[in-house]
Amino acid sequence: MFKINDKTQWDDGSGQVIDELKARFGDHPVHFQRDDLARVQIPQKDLLPVLSWLRGDTPFVQLTHMTAIDWMEEGEFELVYLVTAPTLLTSLMICIRVDREKAQAETVFNLWLHAETYEQEINEMFGIDFPGSPRQGVPFILEAWKDIPPMRRDFDTVEYCARTHPERPGREHQDTRKYVGRKFGEKGFLK
Amino acid sequence: MKKFNGTDKPWDLTSLPTTEVPKGSVPHAPTDDQCFLGSENIPEAPKLQEAVATIKNWFRASSLNVLAFGTGCGAIELRPLSTSRFDMSRFGITGAPTPRQSNVFIISGYLSTKTLKRAIRSYEQMPNPKWVVALGSCTINGGMYWDSYNTIKVLDLYMPVDVYISGCMPRPEALLAGFDYLMTDIKKGEANGWHHYLENLNWYRENQKQVINDWDLPEYSW
Repeated sequence: MFKINDKTQWDDGSGQVIDELKARFGDHPVHFQRDDLARVQIPQKDLLPVLSWLRGDTPFVQLTHMTAIDWMEEGEFELVYLVTAPTLLTSLMICIRVDREKAQAETVFNLWLHAETYEQEINEMFGIDFPGSPRQGVPFILEAWKDIPPMRRDFDTVEYCARTHPERPGREHQDTRKYVGRKFGEKGFLK
Repeated sequence: MKKFNGTDKPWDLTSLPTTEVPKGSVPHAPTDDQCFLGSENIPEAPKLQEAVATIKNWFRASSLNVLAFGTGCGAIELRPLSTSRFDMSRFGITGAPTPRQSNVFIISGYLSTKTLKRAIRSYEQMPNPKWVVALGSCTINGGMYWDSYNTIKVLDLYMPVDVYISGCMPRPEALLAGFDYLMTDIKKGEANGWHHYLENLNWYRENQKQVINDWDLPEYSW
């Protein structure tokens, strides 16, 4: 039985799962966020080996969440796989970086069937491809979306909204600072 | 008797069947809207028509059937409204499961463009006369979704609204007050949003097609 939910064991890095992960896949940076949560940054090519090892040989058998982060300035997407050990009540965040121009990652649909829905949503909202995953390109939340994927940071939401959804006349957005300052009669209020 | 011309626009009210009454005969089986078409010989016919319209509107205001369609978070206010605490059946308001059996549509909160398509379809399937109650600030100017890429801001571009209820969220008391306004308007004969929708259907269609990219609804969802 692995013992990694003990804070002292997290702190000195002696968590057995982390140790073994480092021994098997190289010394990757580990960040201990909470008593029951650690974050491991691995290269993209190690994704399937690490996740299949966690799923098969450790208590970390459950994919709790999967999401993406847009690091636009660095030209990369970050994919986060939150893998939980139900017996230990402990979670691992496995993070990989994906090139933003050629946004493509391996599917984990073969390890967890429900990853198909996460991958479909990420494909729709970020435009990241998961070749081999079912329902790629099938609309999930958006219907007949014509613009770039809306969760990419270069998608200008306010501009898009002003273009497609008209305002009610007289109810346009007001500058809050000016409005509050005028309301309270103080010059430079909330400066 | 003028027959219904099937090729005309179905919402064109002039193409509805009218009863042509020959002189000297007694009109029988008048339609609903031409209830007193042949009554010009009756003395004080306008007063009678007015009285009948008043009674008709009173009946209409007293039996409101709310469609069970919750579009946003505001639908949570309909449960206390319909159950014992704010019992809306005191006022003759009750729920209806399908659009064919209802005549009040509560747009309860934000309306995404995906839901808008279903809401339009449901609204058009409701029999006339029908009324729309818009609940919450999302339907008025977008509310907290004013910069959302997927949520409409001004509801009355897409659907005729009879009563707006402001607030985020309005309490069930506010809803009851809104229903009070609606019933007053119906009794006066001024809640004619459904009529406005039929008359300006092309304008509404243009607005609807601007936000709904994959328009596949029929010409009118009867």
